[in-house]
Amino acid sequence: MNEDAQTYENAVERLEEIIARLDSGQAGLRETLDLCAEGKRLIEFAAGELDSVGKGLEELRLDDLVARLDPANAQEKPETA
Amino acid sequence: MSEPVAGTEAQGIPGYPGPFEVGRYAKELQRRLRGFTQVALLGEVVNFKAGRGANVYFELRDADGAVPCAMWRNDFDRLGDAGSDLRDGAQVIVAGGCDYYPGGASASPSFSFRVKTMRPAGEGDLLARLERLRRLLASEGLFERQKKLRRPALPRRIGVVTGEGSAARKDFLAGLERLGWRGQIVWGYAPVQDRRAAPAIGAALRDLAAYGEVDAIVVTRGGGSIADLWAFCDEALCRTVALLPVPVVSAVGHEVDRTLIDDVAAVSCSTPTHAAAAVVRVDVGAERAGMLAAAARLHTRGRGTVVEQARALIARSRAPREHLRRHRRDLHQASKELRATTRKAVGEERERQRRRAGTVLPRKREAALAAVGTERGALARRAARLDARARDGLAVRRKAAMRQAASLRALDPDRTLERGYALALGPDGELLDDAAAVTAAREFELRMSGGTVPARVRDSGT
Repeated sequence: MNEDAQTYENAVERLEEIIARLDSGQAGLRETLDLCAEGKRLIEFAAGELDSVGKGLEELRLDDLVARLDPANAQEKPETA
Repeated sequence: MSEPVAGTEAQGIPGYPGPFEVGRYAKELQRRLRGFTQVALLGEVVNFKAGRGANVYFELRDADGAVPCAMWRNDFDRLGDAGSDLRDGAQVIVAGGCDYYPGGASASPSFSFRVKTMRPAGEGDLLARLERLRRLLASEGLFERQKKLRRPALPRRIGVVTGEGSAARKDFLAGLERLGWRGQIVWGYAPVQDRRAAPAIGAALRDLAAYGEVDAIVVTRGGGSIADLWAFCDEALCRTVALLPVPVVSAVGHEVDRTLIDDVAAVSCSTPTHAAAAVVRVDVGAERAGMLAAAARLHTRGRGTVVEQARALIARSRAPREHLRRHRRDLHQASKELRATTRKAVGEERERQRRRAGTVLPRKREAALAAVGTERGALARRAARLDARARDGLAVRRKAAMRQAASLRALDPDRTLERGYALALGPDGELLDDAAAVTAAREFELRMSGGTVPARVRDSGT
């Protein structure tokens, strides 16, 4: 795991801050445009994360992964459910 | 063992007693080992072999070591039903002491712990041992390492170590389904209740971490007694979990007692279903709806702000034009009013001047002329009065002067001298106004009408 990478929870937290700032009515035009652009990027990222765990359950066996990493068994395919 | 083999002293090794006959040495070893204190041992039964011989054999193990055990069949049979507890994976307490079979010319020697009796380890025994392990691992700081790892709220890939075909597997999947999570699971199947369990679980954990693509790992099994769950208290396994770089969620079903893996894991849960909620900390369906709502709010707020700002700008751009138009209109009106007022005022002034020239000025001229005449008469009267007063004043002042001249003449000392009186004057001309002054002066002058006469006081004899 990369500790510095964007995470879903960080994206959601920042998105909530942005919406709160826009709701306050204190943001000027330039700030509003910047916040909207940032919010759009965050939503796209978060939606991508949700999509990655929403398409369908994929089950792998550790034994198969270990065997696949073994050069002697490199031709075997992982079993998926 | 005090007597070496006769006649072999010369064949020994310097620095070492002997050589001794090995059979004698073996029997002495047997004697000494049997002299060790009889004790009770706690451990897991491994490689149990009942067979049909005079002994039953097994090993007693724990994480730190093992001892080979032997039990006379008679003693084993006396255990009755309790003998059935002697099976691989069982935690037992055995009582006995060290023994040594010295072997022989055709028999191999062997060491064993001669078990006289045994019983299954009770919960109290296991809990006491668990508590010792717990204190040991805690003192090494192994309970904190996993808890410092970052756990993603929405993992993409989850590793799971559990029994293949177990109820825990099914419950965990059901929990994920309720959360709407349909990512990737890597199953690391392992036995979860016997002597093979802890090493197999440890190996699966290491392999999952080495795979490098799982965001979190769940270790789970169904409930049981502390003896059933003892594999999850294995010291080596718990050290493996503590040092793993991937967060581990433990879900070893238990109601009262807490296994050691619960202490070292990042999070511990009581059931596989709870483990699903602990490893996936968001409801995917609800999050998706929330994200749509957030997108709509963002759009609305952003658009609203832009429209609002645009309106404000339009209003600002319109304001100066309106302002100029209004002022121009006001100025025009004011100009018209000013012109009208000026014309009216000029006409009125002109009329007033005309009227003044026709009536007022002649009247004022006549009045002025009349005033001049009146003033002239008054001046003439005033001059006549001044002349009369001047004449009267001259006569009065003349009379007064005549009276003052008469008074002065009456007071003149010469007038008195004319009537026969004389003034006695001292040498310096001062008036000698009594007899004493004359007497003192001795010589003086008498001033009288017609001139001054020197005089002297005559001695009278008095």
